[in-house]
Amino acid sequence: MADQSRFGEEAMVYADSLYAYALRMTRNPPDAEDLLQETFLKGFRSYASFTEGTNLRAWLFRIMTNSYINLYRTRQRRPDEIGVDDIERLALFRELGSPSAEDSALEHFTDIEVKMALESLPEQNRNAVLLADVEGFSYKEIAEITEVPIGTVMSRLSRGRAALERALADFVKHRVENGASA
Amino acid sequence: MSSDPAPSVNPFEFNACEETIHEIYHFLDGELTEEKRRVIETHLSQCQPCDSVKRFEVELRQVVADRCREEVPKDLRERIARLINHELDNASSADGAGPRREGNASAH
Ligand SMILES: [Zn+2]
Repeated sequence: MADQSRFGEEAMVYADSLYAYALRMTRNPPDAEDLLQETFLKGFRSYASFTEGTNLRAWLFRIMTNSYINLYRTRQRRPDEIGVDDIERLALFRELGSPSAEDSALEHFTDIEVKMALESLPEQNRNAVLLADVEGFSYKEIAEITEVPIGTVMSRLSRGRAALERALADFVKHRVENGASA
Repeated sequence: MSSDPAPSVNPFEFNACEETIHEIYHFLDGELTEEKRRVIETHLSQCQPCDSVKRFEVELRQVVADRCREEVPKDLRERIARLINHELDNASSADGAGPRREGNASAH
């Protein structure tokens, strides 16, 4: 059983990455702040049920994911998952071609473009991509955080990554269409 | 199939590329069996087009992760630390241990 008086110190280490996850999910700072605060309070209150020595970071991400669903999910009226498996894969690779060591086209993406592309994904796919590619969680950890089977994590992830490349490729296309040379 | 390095006109090459691209995310995620991982790795070392896909995807992940870094605003961090201290005080007074003074949860 974990000691509650140590919770603040132990959990605060993960505040920045939890906040980044909250921002991408809620898409706005005030909601992200509320969600982070809610996650820490819930974490504190249930810390006694946390087994010390297990994965505190994954445990906190699970609390945040659940809190997000409880607080914000019902407000949204758009599909929360990509339902087909035939989206084009590697769309961005096809758009940009293979990277050369000297000039990486990927480096031209701004923070805002990448965030917008991520935020354009349906919720379930976006969360899987964030947890895997931004936070580096394993399939098993993501399955526990989002409370779905590993097979579901894998399909959400591969569809989400395909859609992310598509969204980023669209930015590149628009740049070319607008004749931006800068 | 022999264990010799694949010649460039290997009729199985097309399937090997398909399989590699199909498994590329699982390969990069470190979620393949050791046997499968070795098959993909061997193919990547022999196939320039597939290897360039791999390098592109590795770099893409790096760029996505880099662009998504955030820092908790200082006042929010302090607010959360205060809230937790307050909760701790409540918990200890509920235990009959009396209220505790501030300064427990840390706000780095
Ligand atoms: Zn190949």
